[in-house]
Amino acid sequence: MTVKVRFFARFRELFGGDIITDVPEGASFMGMIKEIAGMNREGYDAIFDDTGAFREFVILMKNGKRIDCANAVQTPVADGDEIAVFPPVAGG
Amino acid sequence: MLTEKERERYKRQMMLFGDEGQERLKNAHIFIAGAGGLGSPISFYLAVAGIGTLTVVDNDVVDQSNLNRQILHYDRDIGLKKTASAEEKLRAINPDITVKVIDATIDASNAHLLVGDADGIVDAMDNFTTRYILNDVAIDKNIPLFHGGIRGFYGQATTIIPKKTACLRCIFPHPPPKEMFPVVGVTPGFIGMVQATEVLKYLLGSGELLANRLFIWDGLRAHAEEIALERNPQCEVCGDKHNTNREMI
Repeated sequence: MTVKVRFFARFRELFGGDIITDVPEGASFMGMIKEIAGMNREGYDAIFDDTGAFREFVILMKNGKRIDCANAVQTPVADGDEIAVFPPVAGG
Repeated sequence: MLTEKERERYKRQMMLFGDEGQERLKNAHIFIAGAGGLGSPISFYLAVAGIGTLTVVDNDVVDQSNLNRQILHYDRDIGLKKTASAEEKLRAINPDITVKVIDATIDASNAHLLVGDADGIVDAMDNFTTRYILNDVAIDKNIPLFHGGIRGFYGQATTIIPKKTACLRCIFPHPPPKEMFPVVGVTPGFIGMVQATEVLKYLLGSGELLANRLFIWDGLRAHAEEIALERNPQCEVCGDKHNTNREMI
């Protein structure tokens, strides 16, 4: 199945813009992002902490709805889903 | 009542919202937290729009490295307090409004007092610590918080209406790591204009606010989009439990 992952702000600089990815049936939100992030060490470290958990400031959205980082392991992705991963920006 | 001079000054925008709208702007008091990259364009445009009273707060001194984006401050102002520089420019660009400047660091102990009787708070800060304080004050005083943030060519904005929309803590429960962020002046210029437009719409009661909508802007791609937001009932600042406790007090 095909899922569209969109990175924003600093994450976009690290991964590029939108990534269309093929994922196996039953893949989790967390697993899918880890697989993509694994392609770029700096990017991985920007999103995940030393224990492999999402850094607490990371914002996750699935089809426009917020996903709690703590639930990302259990949250499945489905064909056609649009996933957004981004940090808040703090400058002013 | 508007003076003849004011009618002439605001003639072109009064074609949009008439005497009543201009009076509303004249009677309004907006608190602008920060006279930097966002605060500069926001305060300029709210001043020329005729917001009756602007309070601008900053604690910093103008530095050469500010001048690529902080258009309130000129080369000759290097070394001056940003509040003094802002006051001079805003009074010069519109002597018909009241400009108050406060040279202070906003913190939890003084924020309520600094905001005073303002009708809304503009978030033109560069850190989440102070943003969360402004969010608390907006919720407590039941006034809107016009949020903006930028980094590089990228920015975000939303309008927080207490009791109606997600608050800043609902949207961003945790701040991003502190950093010396890269920025080019057009980005706070762009996001600042989104925030200033929100202020005007709110005061005029017209249009559709960025309520429960996070506007995000990618200047490199010239691409804007928005993400739907919702209140977090468990939010430590505006959540149901917190409100119940407050009512009991």
